[in-house]
Amino acid sequence: QSFKLLGFLDVKNVPCARESVLYGSLGSVVMGLGHFLATSRVRRSCDVAVGGFICTMLGYWFYCRYNLAQQRIRQRMLREGMKNRILFEGSYLDPEKEQTGSERSNS
Amino acid sequence: MADYSQFGFQDASSPVMEELVEFHDHALMVALAICSLVLYLLTMMLTEKLSSSTVDAQEIELVWTILPAIVLILLALPSLQILYMMDEVNEPDLTLKAIGHQWYWTYEYTDLKDLTFDSYMVPTTDLPLGHFRLLEVDHRVIVPMESPVRVIVTADDVLHSWAVPSLGVKTDAIPGRLNQTSFTATRPGIFYGQCSEICGANHSFMPIVVESTTLADFENWSSLMSS
Repeated sequence: QSFKLLGFLDVKNVPCARESVLYGSLGSVVMGLGHFLATSRVRRSCDVAVGGFICTMLGYWFYCRYNLAQQRIRQRMLREGMKNRILFEGSYLDPEKEQTGSERSNS
Repeated sequence: MADYSQFGFQDASSPVMEELVEFHDHALMVALAICSLVLYLLTMMLTEKLSSSTVDAQEIELVWTILPAIVLILLALPSLQILYMMDEVNEPDLTLKAIGHQWYWTYEYTDLKDLTFDSYMVPTTDLPLGHFRLLEVDHRVIVPMESPVRVIVTADDVLHSWAVPSLGVKTDAIPGRLNQTSFTATRPGIFYGQCSEICGANHSFMPIVVESTTLADFENWSSLMSS
């Protein structure tokens, strides 16, 4: 099942989308309300609220997607490392064998 | 394969498709931000809170020049990155040819002792229980998983197009021309596609099925087919 915001953004299944929209809404309310409390100008506060929504949503989106991309790279490296470990265990290419060999020579 | 009411992408089965899905999500988020702004301005105009009696507006003109430029850069940079990634030459382990006919595909594995076979759609009357209508074929394209595969696509008669959405592949089959595409199936599975260029009465009835297996299974299949 999916919930599509404005009919096209699937916030349930797209990573980071739900948090971006929620943080954007929170940022919008905080900035709009804060501006109104400071200036008592309704129209300008609405403008600030919409601007805050867009900036907070996009800001969190980039931050979250950057972290997600880094996590994916780490997962890929881990998967590759596990595969190589199984492949080379006990052979002359095994990096752990070189390490234990150097530890023995040091002691 | 796609569900009966599916609107979005199928699950990605190749690195390029994963990148395309991520870029699509990114573009939709930017589109959501723009739509929110436009909706707000529309509401302001319809409730007469926005006037057009301005004669000199240097600041707003600067804003609505720079902001769209930033949006274009946000979209163009990842788009170009993926475009160049799709064109990378990556020393494929296997080359196969896909030749479009009216209305079936021929596949040639010339790396493997001239293995050639036709791939026809299984008619609905002959379909076993649990198989997919209008998508199953009598001979699937078998490829080894996690190996770069190059596909050379051409046609024998009219225009066709070899497309497998899950692998992020769609290449036109043009008579007299060889088009090249490549993919790497990241997991074992069966990936369905359909001809994507109108080619006559049975254009909708010449599907493509790619089956990604382990290297051992691929070798067994190829020796079985060759003999």
